[in-house]
Amino acid sequence: MLLALSAMVLLFSACGQAETTEPELSTLRVAVPTFPNSLDASVAAERNAQNVSWQMFDSLVWANEQNVIEPALAERWEVSEDGREFTFFLRQNVEFHNGEPFNADAVVFSWERGIQPHIEWSDRWARASAVERIDDYTVLITTAEPDPLLLGVMAQHWNIVPPVYTQEVGDDRFGESPVGTGPFRFVEWVREDRIVLERNDSYWREGLPRVDRVVFRPIPEASTRMAAIQTGEIDIVNRLTVEQAGALESIDGVRVVTYPIDRVFYITFNNLTSGIGEPTMDPRVRRAMNYAVDRQAIIDSLFGGRAQLATGLMTPSNLGYDPTIEPFPFDPDRARELLAEAGFPDGFEIGFAAPAGAYTNFEQVAEAVQGFLGDVGIVTDLEIMESGRFWDLQAEKQLPPLFGDSWSERSGESLPRLRGALGGWDASFSQWSDPVIDDLLDRISVTVDQNERAALYRELHRYMQEDPPFIYLYIPETFEAVRSNVQDYLPRAAEDFFLMFTYLE
Amino acid sequence: MQRYLLSRAIQSVMLMFGVLVLVFFLVRLTGDPARLMMPRDASPADVEAFREAMGFNEPLVRQFFGFMTNALRGDFGRSLHFRAPAMRMVLERMPATLELALAALAFALFVAIPLGVIGGSRPGTIWDTICRGVGLVGQTIPNFWLALMMISFFSVSLGWFPTFGRGGVRSIVLPAVALGLFPLGKFTRLVRSAVLEVRNEDYIRTAYSKGLLDHRVYTHHIFLNVSVTLVSIVGVQFGYLLGGSIYIETIFSWPGVGRMIHEAVQARDFPLVQALAFVSAGFIVLLNLLTDIAYVLIDPRIRYED
Repeated sequence: MLLALSAMVLLFSACGQAETTEPELSTLRVAVPTFPNSLDASVAAERNAQNVSWQMFDSLVWANEQNVIEPALAERWEVSEDGREFTFFLRQNVEFHNGEPFNADAVVFSWERGIQPHIEWSDRWARASAVERIDDYTVLITTAEPDPLLLGVMAQHWNIVPPVYTQEVGDDRFGESPVGTGPFRFVEWVREDRIVLERNDSYWREGLPRVDRVVFRPIPEASTRMAAIQTGEIDIVNRLTVEQAGALESIDGVRVVTYPIDRVFYITFNNLTSGIGEPTMDPRVRRAMNYAVDRQAIIDSLFGGRAQLATGLMTPSNLGYDPTIEPFPFDPDRARELLAEAGFPDGFEIGFAAPAGAYTNFEQVAEAVQGFLGDVGIVTDLEIMESGRFWDLQAEKQLPPLFGDSWSERSGESLPRLRGALGGWDASFSQWSDPVIDDLLDRISVTVDQNERAALYRELHRYMQEDPPFIYLYIPETFEAVRSNVQDYLPRAAEDFFLMFTYLE
Repeated sequence: MQRYLLSRAIQSVMLMFGVLVLVFFLVRLTGDPARLMMPRDASPADVEAFREAMGFNEPLVRQFFGFMTNALRGDFGRSLHFRAPAMRMVLERMPATLELALAALAFALFVAIPLGVIGGSRPGTIWDTICRGVGLVGQTIPNFWLALMMISFFSVSLGWFPTFGRGGVRSIVLPAVALGLFPLGKFTRLVRSAVLEVRNEDYIRTAYSKGLLDHRVYTHHIFLNVSVTLVSIVGVQFGYLLGGSIYIETIFSWPGVGRMIHEAVQARDFPLVQALAFVSAGFIVLLNLLTDIAYVLIDPRIRYED
C-alpha cells in the first residue's frame, strides 16, 4: 500500500507546480464549518451562512464591536416621543453591486419581501409594522409597540436588497447569486466547494474593504480545519476545540483567537408542569442547589478552565449585565443549611434530563451536576436523551423538573433569551413563570431608552440571583485561529464578523 | 435466463417500493420537524402556523400517499434547508461521490488483485503472510482514523496533498486511499482464498497437463474463475461506496452524497433525507441486479434455467 501511495505521489507531484497564485491580489481564505444553505442573509439559516452572506450586504444601521448601534445605509435617524416611529435619513449616492441605486424604494421593497412567510427570518422583519417612503432618501418605520430591540434586529437581519434584480431572478436565485451594497460583491459559488467574493471598489465606507478577494471554503470537520490552518491553505478557521487551540498555540505562523460567546448553559427548574409541588418550588432550595454545584471544578476539568461562571441568564456582552454580581460560590454547607431551613434536611429525589450529543461535553457536565447534588442529599434520576426527543419534550413542557440546556443570543441583548426561557406558557421552550420576572421583562420590552433599559436589566439580574429559576452553569469560550499575517480580524460574542476591516500583512 | 432476469428485475422494483415506505416512516420517528426547524424563541402559534404551511399537521396516511405519488414521478419535494428540489440536489452531488468511489475501488483492486493472487498461489510463504496481513489491516483499521493520520502526515508534515476539498487529481488521493482501505482488505482476502480454491480444481490440473505455461494457466483459467467471485463482491462494495461515506467525505470536505446525509439529518431536512435514502438504496439494488447479470455473462456454468 505504501508503494502504491508513493507511486501516486510521484505521479501527481508534477501537477502541483501548475497551481499558481496571483501575487497582485490579496486573498483572504476563510473556512466555514457548515454549508451555507443560501447567500441571502434573510434566508441563511444559521450563523455561519449568515457570516458569509453579510460580507455582501448592509443594513440601515450597524452594530459595532461593543454592540453600539452606528449609522450604515442610514446616515442618521430620529425616534418619535412614543418610541413607535423611527425616521431614517438615508445615505445618498450609494449603488448596489449591479448599479441599481440605493434609495427609499429599496428599503420599502426589502421589508415587503422580508415579511413574507417563506423568508427564514420573516419574524425579524415583521418587528416593524410599516415601512413607508417619505421621499427618495427618507423612510418612516413604525412598530406596533415601542420596540427597543428594533435597531439591533435591523443591524442583524435586515439586509437591503435591490428591487429590480431581486424581482427579476426571484428569491431562490437571489440566494444563489446575491446582490447587495456591501463591502464585497459576489463572484461565484461552487456548491459545497467555495464561495468567492471580490472587493466592491465603490464601497461607501471609504478605504474599505482592505483585501481584494475573500474565498470561503466549507470544512465541516474541526480536525481538518486545524490541519488546513497549519498548512496555510486557509487564513481563518473557527469552531475549534479547546485541545486543538492548545495544540495550535505552539505552531509557528498560527495565532489562536479566543473569546467568550453569547451563550449561557444552565439547569432549569420547572414551576409550570412537572415541577409543581416539587421541593424546587421553594427559592431556598433553588439557591441551595446553586451553592451545591462546584461549577469552577466543572469548567476546570471539562473545559480546561476556558469558560466563565454564569450569573443570571446574561453574558458580559449583553446590555445591563451587572459585573458586580458575584456568582454563587461552591458552598455545600450553606446548601445543606438552606435545605434544612426549607424542610428538607435529608434532601429529596427529583427527575433530571439532558440532551445527548448537542453540546461539547454536556453529558459529562450533567453527570457532574448529578454528583454534586447527590453530595448534599439531592438524588437525581438523570436521563440523557436523544436531542430530537429532548427538544420535543421540552417544547411540550413534559421534561422532568430539572433539565440542562443552553441558549445563545445574537441580538446583543438578553431579552429574547430571557423571554424564551422564562416567558411561561407564552414561550415554546419556557418551563418557568414568575410575576416579578414577567413584569420586568414587559417593561424592558417597551423601554426604548437604552440607559433605562440597562437599569431594568440590572434589577432583573439581581432578582434572578436571589430567586434563581436556574442553576447557572457557565458561559463557554470559542476557539479560532488565524495565520499570523492576518490583521484586524474582529469576531464578536455572537460569533459573527465583518471582513471589511481585515487585511494581510 | 430471461425469466430469471425478469424476476430479478421485478424483485428490484418491489424492493425499491419497500424502501420508499420505510424511508417515509423512519424519518418521522426522529421528532417534530416544525419545532426543530423554528427558532427557539418562536411562539407556539408561530410553530403551529409553520406546521400547517409545511403540511406536517395532515394525517400521516394522507402525507404518505402524497409522498408516494410524487416520488413515483421523481419529485421528492423541496429541501427545507437548502430551498431547492431535493432530488436535484442529490443528483448534483453524485458526480463527486461517483468519482471518489471509482478512485477508491480502482485503488483497492489495483493493490488487492496482484497481492491476492501472489498470496493464494504461494500459501505459507512470506508473500502469503503479507497478503493476509494487508487483508486483516484493511478491514480492521477505522478509515476515519487513517484519514486523520494521513492528513497530519502527508498534508501537514510533508505538504504533498491538500488537506481538504475537491479540485485536481491530488485532492482525490488521500480520500480515495482512506475509503479504499476497507474494500482493499476485503478483496485481498477474497482473491487469495479464491485462488487457493481454484488451484485445486480438476480443470487446472488438466490445463497444466496440456502443457500450458504457468502464466497462461493463471490468466486464462485461474483468474477468470476468481473473477466470478470478485465481481459479486465488487458490485456490492461499489454500491456501498456510492451511498457516500459520511466520515471520509466529511473529513476531507469532499462535496458528495455522504456529506450531504450528515447535513440533511442535522437539519432534519425530511425531503432531502428521503431523496438521499432512496438514491443510495437504488444504487445498491441496481448494482446487485447488474452483478447477477454479470455472473451469467462471465460464467457459462451459471444458466439459471431452474
